[in-house]
Amino acid sequence: MSTFVVRFSVRQRVEHAITMVVFTVLCLTGLPQKFYGAAWAHHLIELFGGIDATRWIHRFCGWVLAITTFVHFSSALWAIAEKKIRLSMIPTRKDFDDAVDTLRYYLGLRDQAPRYDRFDYKQKFEYWGLVVGNVIMVLTGVILIYPAVVTRLLPGEFVPAAKVAHSNEGLMAFLVITIWHIYNAHLNPDVFPFDPTIFTGKISRERMAHEHPLELERLEGGAEPVEGAVGEHAERDMG
Amino acid sequence: MKRVLLWLWLAAGAAPARAGLPAEEGDCLGCHGSDPDMSMDLPSGEKLGIYVDLNVFAKSVHGEILRCNDCHTEKNGYPHESKPFANRRDLTVAYYEGCKGCHFANYTKTLDGVHYAQMSKGNRKAALCVDCHGSHDIQRPDEPRTRISLTCAKCHPKVFSVYTASVHGKALAEGNPDVPVCTDCHRAHDILDPSGGALAVRTPEICGRCHTNAKMMARYGLSTKVVSTYLRDFHGMSASLKRGEKGADRRNFAAVCTDCHGVHDIQGSKDPNSHTIQANLVQTCRKCHPDATANFPQAWLSHYEPSPQKAGLVWMLQTFYKILIPFMVGGLVLQIALHLWRVVVNR
Repeated sequence: MSTFVVRFSVRQRVEHAITMVVFTVLCLTGLPQKFYGAAWAHHLIELFGGIDATRWIHRFCGWVLAITTFVHFSSALWAIAEKKIRLSMIPTRKDFDDAVDTLRYYLGLRDQAPRYDRFDYKQKFEYWGLVVGNVIMVLTGVILIYPAVVTRLLPGEFVPAAKVAHSNEGLMAFLVITIWHIYNAHLNPDVFPFDPTIFTGKISRERMAHEHPLELERLEGGAEPVEGAVGEHAERDMG
Repeated sequence: MKRVLLWLWLAAGAAPARAGLPAEEGDCLGCHGSDPDMSMDLPSGEKLGIYVDLNVFAKSVHGEILRCNDCHTEKNGYPHESKPFANRRDLTVAYYEGCKGCHFANYTKTLDGVHYAQMSKGNRKAALCVDCHGSHDIQRPDEPRTRISLTCAKCHPKVFSVYTASVHGKALAEGNPDVPVCTDCHRAHDILDPSGGALAVRTPEICGRCHTNAKMMARYGLSTKVVSTYLRDFHGMSASLKRGEKGADRRNFAAVCTDCHGVHDIQGSKDPNSHTIQANLVQTCRKCHPDATANFPQAWLSHYEPSPQKAGLVWMLQTFYKILIPFMVGGLVLQIALHLWRVVVNR
């Protein structure tokens, strides 16, 4: 039986694809600027056609990231205002409890992993990490592109402060994504070698039952209190 | 008649190879050392003095070592068949190769120098060995040290007068041996052409040679962190990356030392004429950032390392991320490890 659930809309898949490409290019063009003393940094920058070209690419991708973040946020707020979506990404008390229970389960203090809803606490953590990170990166990035304009209004010290924040936040984002996201989407034994859901939009019913049992129950129970919620986020498709 | 006999004696090969001064006194200087007004007329109308003061030559660095025809190699007989030099400069240029035989390393360096490049482009005024070192009166060029800059000043008087008014030039005049003279930055024989910016991009090292020397800087109460703080900032980082590029336009670099501090007119940072004193800083920034306003110079931390007192906001952010990044990464790695362990145990 090949039963699956559509988990991500086309738009969400496109958003992920853009973010993936832009984030990668930003790391490739940004990190060599942070580690300007290393030989690999010079090689990488040469590959992009020199530091001026590297900066141009970095800034272009930065603007793309800024626009996609803005579009994502404003359309989410719009949808929330129109009550078209459930607030499935908002962290709740349950997420905190889930995190504690998951660690207890890992440590053998609990027999079962907690039952997650549409997004588990790790996914919410990563989502909000990315969103908050994007906002920090975009704001500090703009300060670094236009230091003379920014210091007309703000103290000069904001410029080196923005550089420290941009450079460290960028490194942290890189580390979190390479360690955490690559593990969860690729190396995790549950999905190894590759979790295709974000590209196909589809997830098997078995995996839903295993990873998002609460959402599956709600979908299959048909007891959906908010009209249109399933249509926006997920639909069931028996194949 | 006596002189002719002497030459015959020499021609017979009886002369000792290195007879030193007494022999010179006898032969060449027999003519060229007697009349201070001795000269010959060149086709250009210039007079070429051909008198050599024995005492001057004897006290020169070559006095005890060289004989006249070690340099004047073609003059090994009398009467000598003098080459018809059109003017004095032709003669000097013709003798350029003369020093090579002994001073091959420095001669080779000059081939990479800006003076040689100018000469080969046809600028006959460009300095040759003897223009800086002299000829019969050669002394050690750096004794005393102030002599070096005076030597360059012969052709570069404008730059020299700017330099003498700078913090380095003033100290040199007072006999301070720490400060740079021309050759410390420009080098002596392989002088780089500074107009392409090739010298400017090296200033972090050139200035850093003295300004990171803890012992020397302690004498003046100056920071030795000027280079490291510069390199860590946007300007230093950009210049470092650009320097590695092939064919990078070196005039289009992020600011290096001399862009803010000046070149020959560098002043102490508390001097009212300093480009980097607070009152003049916006003007200096505007050279590259024409839209800079009063707040803008604070964007540069004046070579200070961020601390709670200096640039507290920057320091706070640095400290915050220094704690957050290991905490975040460590936490995630730990959770991955625990998850893997659970997977293994469950199997």
